[in-house]
Amino acid sequence: MAPGVSASPDAELEPEWHAEGVTVGDVLTALSDIRRKFARKDAGDDEHPHSRNRVMTLVALVDSEGDEKRALRACTAIAVHHPSLAIVIREQPHVGEHHMDAWIATDTHQSSSGVAVQCEVITLHVGSASGDHLAPLVDPLLLSGVPTYLWWLGTPPFETRAFLDSLKIADALVVDSAHFERPLHSFIGLAEVAATSHQHLGVADFQWQRLAPWREMIAQFFEPKDRRSFMQGIAEVGIDYVGVGRGNRIGPSLLVGWFASAIGWKVQQAVGGTGGVAVVHYIAGDRHMEVVFRPVAKPELAPGEVSAVRITGAAGGRTFQLSIQRDPERPHRLGAEGAVVEFRELHPTGDDDAGTEVAERQAVRHREMLLKNREMLHHTATGDLPGDSGARNPTVLARERRLGDSALILLTMIDIGGAETLRHVQHVNAEDEPTLLLQLLSTGAHDAVYDRSLAAAADLMREL
Amino acid sequence: MTSEDTLPPNPLAEGLHDYRVADPSLMVIFGATGDLSGRKLLPAIYNLAKQRLLPAGFGVVGAAIDDMTDDTFRKHAAEVITKHSRTQPVDEGVLHAFLDSVFYVKVDFGKLDDFKALQRRLDELDHARHVAGNRVFYCATPPPTYETIAEQLKATGVNTGAGFHRIVVEKPFGSDLKSARELNTILQRVFHEDSVFRIDHYLGKETVQNILAFRFANSIFEPVWNSSLIDSVQITAAEEIGVELRGAYYDKAGALRDIVQNHALQLLALVAMEPPVAFDANAVRDEKVKVLRAIRPLQDEEVARATVRAQYTKGWVLGEQVIGYRQEHAVAAGSLTETFAALRLFVDNWRWAGVPFYIRAGKRLPKRVTEIRILFKRPPHLMFGHKAAEDLDPNAITLRIQPEEGISLRFGAKVPSAGLRLRDVTMDFEYMTSFLIETPEAYERLLLDCMIGDPTLFTRADEVEAAWRVIDPVEAAWRDDRPPLQMYPAGTWGPTSAAKLLQADGREWHRA
Repeated sequence: MAPGVSASPDAELEPEWHAEGVTVGDVLTALSDIRRKFARKDAGDDEHPHSRNRVMTLVALVDSEGDEKRALRACTAIAVHHPSLAIVIREQPHVGEHHMDAWIATDTHQSSSGVAVQCEVITLHVGSASGDHLAPLVDPLLLSGVPTYLWWLGTPPFETRAFLDSLKIADALVVDSAHFERPLHSFIGLAEVAATSHQHLGVADFQWQRLAPWREMIAQFFEPKDRRSFMQGIAEVGIDYVGVGRGNRIGPSLLVGWFASAIGWKVQQAVGGTGGVAVVHYIAGDRHMEVVFRPVAKPELAPGEVSAVRITGAAGGRTFQLSIQRDPERPHRLGAEGAVVEFRELHPTGDDDAGTEVAERQAVRHREMLLKNREMLHHTATGDLPGDSGARNPTVLARERRLGDSALILLTMIDIGGAETLRHVQHVNAEDEPTLLLQLLSTGAHDAVYDRSLAAAADLMREL
Repeated sequence: MTSEDTLPPNPLAEGLHDYRVADPSLMVIFGATGDLSGRKLLPAIYNLAKQRLLPAGFGVVGAAIDDMTDDTFRKHAAEVITKHSRTQPVDEGVLHAFLDSVFYVKVDFGKLDDFKALQRRLDELDHARHVAGNRVFYCATPPPTYETIAEQLKATGVNTGAGFHRIVVEKPFGSDLKSARELNTILQRVFHEDSVFRIDHYLGKETVQNILAFRFANSIFEPVWNSSLIDSVQITAAEEIGVELRGAYYDKAGALRDIVQNHALQLLALVAMEPPVAFDANAVRDEKVKVLRAIRPLQDEEVARATVRAQYTKGWVLGEQVIGYRQEHAVAAGSLTETFAALRLFVDNWRWAGVPFYIRAGKRLPKRVTEIRILFKRPPHLMFGHKAAEDLDPNAITLRIQPEEGISLRFGAKVPSAGLRLRDVTMDFEYMTSFLIETPEAYERLLLDCMIGDPTLFTRADEVEAAWRVIDPVEAAWRDDRPPLQMYPAGTWGPTSAAKLLQADGREWHRA
């Protein structure tokens, strides 16, 4: 079932209110004024204002201007169809300790049934002290009885007390493990949070969402009655993925973690070879199975993406092979203006995890240094006196781990008992952030299968 | 529950939202070049493909009398899908991949050889597409052809062998109890009842399914869902359109057979049924049959008092002048067919004793709306005084089936002022603004259910027969002109006698 978003907002929302150096109380007052105004306008001559619905509160935590724009784009795309409150928070060192710069924008749409749908987007730039105390900052803005999703763009600081405290306001944490800096380390941090966080907290991961079509195709193969026994006859699973560092095996490991935990396989031995090849031996009863991770070079795919899955075996006197691969003839993706999307990589990365992680740490340090010295650098660069102009927020990309357009075509080939090969092509909608976010939010972020697969994948990553 | 459902759940499907995948099969659409196939079936199957709900190997085999090849039928399918798909624009990639699994066989339903050729083609495709003999036969054809098709399938043995074999038929399921029984007998001679899927597309609507969720997934409604607190129930199924191109069919059917016998009585059954022990095919349908059987049949003299039949004359609908029913294409000039029907029924069981169920259905009414209104009794004592509560109506729950799908609850509240005055307010739930999901088309749900083998949302033979038992006495009296046929201008809510039907009970129709 498709999520209910099909349009992107035409333009960025114009703020209805903006103030600098204000408190949460000031923001609440402004918000109340805007809501009262909307209710009066909406009611028109009718003394019955329409009831207000809120599907959710989405709190997005960002640490760069680019991420802020991404978050706002996603929030407003969702709001085209679904009334919601979005709060985008960005830490800004120049903002005072106990104050914030705030913007409130609203967007109103008429639903097909004539009911007005309003969304509110609150953007807060907060000082570092406020950023460390997210719960008291956001709590007064939350709507009673409406689920709150905490969308952490980038890499959450999993080990910090401030991060764990921030989870208290949320019903679910939403991350994209494909965007993590220090992916291996962060992924294990995510698994630990999922395992130890309070029981109501759901953990959702865009990367898991992107694996759904692969999971569906694998599950579909084993669905027919006469193929169920194949599950007990699997001999080997092969997974091709892009990139060679261990961090690039997160997606593939999630897929294997899901598969193995669903059908009761236990890891017997895991061996990481050179060049990113890894072999894991599983056991189930007296049967032994092998999973082989194989890195492949696919310029059209981003590092960490699954490129192909093969499952082979025999059962009931029949051999079988299921092969699912991303469309091999897929053209290069085009950007919004028809230009080929470049894969951006500002810092060279090594061929192994150590190289990757060193490069990413360099990037983080680079960004921190820029932030710290940006006013001085700005005035040096412009010649302006301090106060005449301000530095724009710098954007430093550690590593672009996803390409903009991730629409995919899956080609499935089924061979059973030496009969003719059956080819089946499936098209998967573009995996843009608003779509992925909606998929997660529409089905709820509490997913026991993900939790189980995440734990299994983290174990596997540790073994390897 | 059918024997096909005994397989344990696929462990790999756990946690996949909306994962409902059938075993691969071939769906043969008889009448594949016709209107139903073009407007509903092919677009619905395309949208299932778009949602990745079709298994590898699934194929559509069009079967009709037109001279077509696989390629020309694919071209036709592409055109109708592009025109009628609910999701627009059509995804060319999905469409082309889907068309690769579309085939065509010319079939004259009267020729056994054509069915043999169909059988051969299905066997070839079985092998090539690993579908293990699974077949669904969809009769997108007029009801008189069902018997011929079923008999030819039996004669060629297409309905036997490995895999499942199901047949899908569209309403009307007969034109009275006798013909419905005959049709059931014919279908059951060839297919087991579990494999006969009678489509009433209303049951595939999300809002109709939500009636069960609303009633049985919440603890606050069921305790008040009975004659102690409910005053009456109104079911409205109104259309603003006329008979369009269906004049020939409609002139024989009328509103009573076309809407009340199936859609309206199905809604009544869902509102009035007892909680099933499980949401499975037989448990749900058992309870619906009990309600239908509990409807008090209207005897001769009661039909005149408890029913209204009427026909539209020229008038204005949605700002446009429209012709009267008798001037419609393929309608007899002196037709006495009703385009509006209203009934007062009672369900004679413990829960509903004495609660009237008012049904009205018609064409060329002011707007398209289907809804169920549950009207509650007034409180036994209003302490606020007559003046304060004079604007206060009884509580009501409205289940809006279409459009503006949702539910609203009306209750009284104090008007903010120094004095004490009460007024009705409405609490609204709207699908549109409360869920992050688009509502699928009813046919998508039903086709998928049929492929999976889940008949919960399909009408069972005994349901059809129980519904005809309610309708037949009414039809018989109407044929004798009791009550006389009334006329109503197009664009109004039926004749004045429809309003009087409720006024006689001290009630009035809800303004839908």
